[in-house]
Amino acid sequence: MSTPGEPSDIPAADDNRLRRIESVTDAALAHLDVEDLLGELLDRVRELLEVDTATVLLLDSSRQQLVATSARGIEAVVRQGIRVPMGKGFAGRVASEKRPVIIERVDGTNVLHSILREHGICSLLGVPLLISGTVIGVLHVGTLVPRQFSDDDVSLLQIVADRVAFATQSRRVEVDRAAAAVLQRSLLPARLPVVPGLELAARYIPAEMGGVSGDWYDVFTLPSGWLCIVIGDVVGRGLHAADVMGRLRSVLRAYALLGGDPTEVLGRLDQQVQHFDPGMMATVLLAMFEPSFERLHLSSAGHPPPVLALPGRPAILLDVPSDHPVGVPGGLRRRGTTINLPPGALLCFYTDGLVESRDTSLDVGLDRLCASVVAGPVESVCAEVMARLVGGDPPGDDVAMLAVRRQDSGEIGPLDLVVPALPWSLRDIRFAVRRWLAAVDAAPRAVADLLVAVGEACTNAVEHAYGPGGGTVTVHLELQLPDVLATVRDTGRWRPPRGENRGRGTMFMRNCSDDLRIDHGPTGTNVVIRRRLGKETPQ
Amino acid sequence: MTGATVGASAENGSMHITLSGEIDLANAVAVEDEIREALSNQPEMVSVDLTDLTYLDSAGVRILFALASRLQALRIVLEIIVPLDSPTRRLIELSGFESLAALKPGSR
Repeated sequence: MSTPGEPSDIPAADDNRLRRIESVTDAALAHLDVEDLLGELLDRVRELLEVDTATVLLLDSSRQQLVATSARGIEAVVRQGIRVPMGKGFAGRVASEKRPVIIERVDGTNVLHSILREHGICSLLGVPLLISGTVIGVLHVGTLVPRQFSDDDVSLLQIVADRVAFATQSRRVEVDRAAAAVLQRSLLPARLPVVPGLELAARYIPAEMGGVSGDWYDVFTLPSGWLCIVIGDVVGRGLHAADVMGRLRSVLRAYALLGGDPTEVLGRLDQQVQHFDPGMMATVLLAMFEPSFERLHLSSAGHPPPVLALPGRPAILLDVPSDHPVGVPGGLRRRGTTINLPPGALLCFYTDGLVESRDTSLDVGLDRLCASVVAGPVESVCAEVMARLVGGDPPGDDVAMLAVRRQDSGEIGPLDLVVPALPWSLRDIRFAVRRWLAAVDAAPRAVADLLVAVGEACTNAVEHAYGPGGGTVTVHLELQLPDVLATVRDTGRWRPPRGENRGRGTMFMRNCSDDLRIDHGPTGTNVVIRRRLGKETPQ
Repeated sequence: MTGATVGASAENGSMHITLSGEIDLANAVAVEDEIREALSNQPEMVSVDLTDLTYLDSAGVRILFALASRLQALRIVLEIIVPLDSPTRRLIELSGFESLAALKPGSR
């Protein structure tokens, strides 16, 4: 094989060894993606070592089992998803002992799966895939005729194994990072809900290095009219933290739907994590707003307290007792706090990445945060906080923040709803009307009256306006102080009510409003209801 | 979907029905069916407790009228438990239902 000009003092054996090493460390392989690289390396190994089979098994995420991932000459191990427990069989032994293992004569005692014997494999050589001393898998080769593997064979296979380990690991990290980022992005609310009476804004900034963590926030309403705000932080980073975060988010929503105050909801979440995700830990703050938004109930599972800014006053840290994080066994009874939220007040929820960094202590961060928060428009508050606390530096940890402000009744715009003229819409209409009336501070009697008056007008549209083709109902509520003006409109052709006891709706509408106008026109029916906002009884 | 719960219990010849949640056009027929299934022709008296009802309109009041006329035919006494000053009571009073059955304020 030697050609003129090559150093002639390299003995043939060494020359051969070098050629073999070059073959598997070939830089040209670097541009291949991991699957192709593994396949190519296994092909080359088979040729160089003159073996019949070559197999890569990788340790699964539980670190309990080796899973056949890539194979040449014995592809069935991958197709059948062959798994070998740590410490068991041939591959399990290589992994647990972290050193090369040779079997000269395969029999029923030294391999776990009959597939190797059925395939006719006589001799095996396996080496561990190691990343900084930690096993991530096993590479083994086999021959169909008895073979004595030499030290050179072992060394060469270990070089290939190192290359396989490195490529696999870097791809895993890359995949985890990408998946975690996608997961995290898909789990954060793409758009915050529009809630009449509240202004909401949020920011989420992933850490520059080290992949995403498990920070999250969530805003959702309950059928009872309560509004929940959640902010939390799963301890850990990467795909696993993002995955746990996703589950916590869904589970917390489900538990909130079951009812109960924040301490009960967090208690259930805690039980859930301890049972299904032992070893995981998360800090969570849950705030539940009463339907009128006048008061909110909070409980904190080890999460930093929110900042409260009242109009014209400096912002303060809310005094919310911090209980044990969820996932920590043996905690004491959770404590809840109730605070009043006057019109114009603003609350700022955040994760520790906002106030804690490499060169700023927690106290300094919290002071800075309080100094940046005012009872103003939420978007400007978020912008100000980000500018003053994050600035232009790459954040070392994920940063999540959510600002919520209770609007003044004077700031509330009209309510506009367009819903299908179907019985199922009635509940949604009531929900929205109730919330809007709470936001404009309507008296309880006015709320009850307007719910019935608007409800009856919508029921009429649902029952009498449209044929089988259906249509929509439009509801518009606006303040014309001291009155509320409600308009319910359909575009159907009215027909007189049918059935027994059905004329009562109009009578209720009339009695529940101060003034009522019903116009049946060729293009639809228009019902205009006027009712005082205050406590006076209509006559 | 509008949600209402119908509870029923019987003691000493009287039947007690509890309605809670909301009743409107969407669930009125279902609620009426549930009440009908819960009742037999055995009791001498039926009381319907509306204390925990958070919304009622003409669709729900219609159920009460239908129930009242059915029970009248069976010679079963009907009473409605509904708190004073509640929106529900106001609508029932407006509808003239008191001519068919007694309204009681209940224990709460």
